[in-house]
Amino acid sequence: MAERMQLCNLSENNFEQCTKCSICTTVCPVAAVTTDYPGPKQAGPDGERYRLKDPAYFDKALKLCLNCKRCEVACPSGVHIADIIQHARMRATEGHRASLRDTMLANTDLLGTMANLVAPVANATLGLSPVKMVMHSMMAIDKHRTFPAYSRQKFTTWFKRHAAQSQDAYSNHVSYFHGCYVNYNFPKLGQDLVKLLNAMGYGVHLLDKEQCCGVALIANGLYKQAKRQARTNIASIRTAVNRDHHMVLTTSSSCTFNMRDEYATMLDIDNSDVRDNITLATRFIYNLVDEGKIKLIFKQDYKRRVAYHTACHMQRMGWQLFSIELLRMIPGLDLIELEQECCGISGTYGFKKENYERSQAIGSALFKSIEQAQVEAVATDCETCKWQIEMSTGLPVENPISILADALDVEATRQANGIK
Amino acid sequence: MRMDTVIMGGGLSGLACGIALAKRGKRVAIVASGQSTLLFNGGSMEMLGYVDGKAVTSPLEAIATLPQSHPYSKIGAERIAALSERVKLLFNDSGVNMTGTANANHWRITPMGVAKPAWLTLNDHLRIDDLNNLPAKRLALMCIRGYFDQPNSMMAMGLRNLGFEVKVIEFTTDDISALRRSPSEMRATNLAKRLVSHSALQRIADQINSLAGDADMVLLPSVFGQSDDSDFQSLQSKVNKPLRLIATLPPAVAGMRIQTQLRHYFRMLGGTYLMGDSAVSGTIEGDQLTSITTAKMNDMPLRADNFVLATGSFVSRGLRADYERIYEPVLDLDVDADADREQWTRFGVLEPQAYMRYGVATDEQFRCRKQGKTINNLYAIGSVLSGHDAVKMGDGTGVSLLTALAVNDLIIAKK
Repeated sequence: MAERMQLCNLSENNFEQCTKCSICTTVCPVAAVTTDYPGPKQAGPDGERYRLKDPAYFDKALKLCLNCKRCEVACPSGVHIADIIQHARMRATEGHRASLRDTMLANTDLLGTMANLVAPVANATLGLSPVKMVMHSMMAIDKHRTFPAYSRQKFTTWFKRHAAQSQDAYSNHVSYFHGCYVNYNFPKLGQDLVKLLNAMGYGVHLLDKEQCCGVALIANGLYKQAKRQARTNIASIRTAVNRDHHMVLTTSSSCTFNMRDEYATMLDIDNSDVRDNITLATRFIYNLVDEGKIKLIFKQDYKRRVAYHTACHMQRMGWQLFSIELLRMIPGLDLIELEQECCGISGTYGFKKENYERSQAIGSALFKSIEQAQVEAVATDCETCKWQIEMSTGLPVENPISILADALDVEATRQANGIK
Repeated sequence: MRMDTVIMGGGLSGLACGIALAKRGKRVAIVASGQSTLLFNGGSMEMLGYVDGKAVTSPLEAIATLPQSHPYSKIGAERIAALSERVKLLFNDSGVNMTGTANANHWRITPMGVAKPAWLTLNDHLRIDDLNNLPAKRLALMCIRGYFDQPNSMMAMGLRNLGFEVKVIEFTTDDISALRRSPSEMRATNLAKRLVSHSALQRIADQINSLAGDADMVLLPSVFGQSDDSDFQSLQSKVNKPLRLIATLPPAVAGMRIQTQLRHYFRMLGGTYLMGDSAVSGTIEGDQLTSITTAKMNDMPLRADNFVLATGSFVSRGLRADYERIYEPVLDLDVDADADREQWTRFGVLEPQAYMRYGVATDEQFRCRKQGKTINNLYAIGSVLSGHDAVKMGDGTGVSLLTALAVNDLIIAKK
């Protein structure tokens, strides 16, 4: 009897566990700046009761949710509030067609492939004010935004030409899921990771086939496409894990969170056999240092003051500690840990004209604390946070991997790890 | 990952202990599963409010009369006097501006308008030192239109019962009216996020200045200053009468402010605060806890010389109950609780409830035990401890703070 009662008490996304304490509301960055959004408690568990009765109770305002998951992190009762909201959105938009703008913003890899071909032109044109005005008025992409510059050479092209051949010489090996941002916009981050891992004695390999992780597709309601890409990625990751016995490393917190958690919860794709093999590079490296398996030696003359910003999905995974503790290993680095606040961009959300002001309002507290910290740069594990913070504070924003690679004494590290 | 001390629980006691240890140069990680019950705190700390149902005048004197099972008795009345001064310093260093003394309780006002004994109260919140010598005669109780988390008439009735003359004044401003579009989100914490700019505060000040009439003190719901009391100071500078805030129903701005300031200070001292993660198990070898595993770092145990259990009571899931037993969910530590389920509760919800006194069993040094064996490097602090009753004795926050500092001293004194 007792056990049967307990079973009846289980509910999808734990929504029966909500005690209506409203604590989620206190941390919602959207509810804090707009009255158009009913807030996580109302949009999540409360609204779900109505929606279970009749799907017509779906409230269009739910599209204002950033899916930052801060409500879930705050919830003392373990309710998956953001998942409830995302599932409701998914059910309500099934069969709808996404707008051209949303499709374009969501297809980061398609856009990247096209832009790479004409990078100088694309960078110049996307930065021009007439073009920005057209995008603003016709496509509803906000004029204040600058598209991240596209690189002339894709990371994968660089890797094949300059790195691939030398990787087999190492005795340990990992695979790298680079993601769209590293491939099309910022190959340097991928190069930094290769430099760092090589110095530790690890060879880096690409997956057989990698597609965009699909985080933006999910956010923009393109679920079918997201599922297709997720299947491709998980198949490639499976091969890397089962055939090559590799860990699959990433340098983007959102790609990581998406592939580890949202593939299963949002897209219903079973990744349980390889989930533990997908990990952020900082977590992987920290663990090796912690277990005494490798050593990192840093430059004597490195001096820098940096603030660490915990991206929302990083906080949801609970892994910020690994990035922070790794950075703290750099003797010359003065690291300030910022209060954990949302920067407001949330992937493609802040690029949309209708969201621009809200996006900046959400981030304002973070921008203020960055100014007060008086630092030379900001470190974060998320690329869209990087764009937002760079645009809003003027400070350079770098991935912890790049900072580590920059501060690393490569020769000394190679020697310490016994590599010729 | 190795720390000097790992604290399970990021509420008041976990933060206080973490700050004290970090200040002594220790590497400390706090594992905090979600927000804590500090968000239900209306801006006061209580050391000891009631003994046998009677209000306590001097907590330090009354502590000597408590049974041996009470956490305070394990610390001892004399040490509590010293620790209570250090609690005040800790708040002061964190930027939490509070006033009070352990020699004599003052009175705080609950959101329902009832006066209750308190030890420390935020300076911008209403505090009554002596019920026979009220801080004002005529009060203007300013009520925000459309804000439901303050039962205005009950508050007015309560204040009148204490001897105040109370004028209830409803008001609003454009900023506040705009918030009414989303009534479910018209909460103290959301108001506090909006009412920060100079102009928004000026509009409220204008309303107060024109409506407060002959009142000699103005009361406002506690919806100002989520991260410090500067918004309140700014508002006070625009109003020509003394202002005080009164607690609202939760989630409470005052508790959020205290939590924000303590957490910020802990981080400034180099502490690591793992928000949204929780301890799920631990490895005990001999008489030592060697590591704990958390939900999110599952394959990377947190190792430390010492561990502190500050996971809170039933509401924070530091204690759990099922159909057969009451247990501590992380390590299944020994608990002080009645085996007979009939004894756990009494029918009347306002009756003293036995389960309120349940908690993990500890020795004189707050060390936990499992199956009768003491774990020498695992200490329990705060609401997870047995032998006290936050509701009926008004000792919840005091136990959290004082046991936190007592355990800090024990850890520092080791070796």
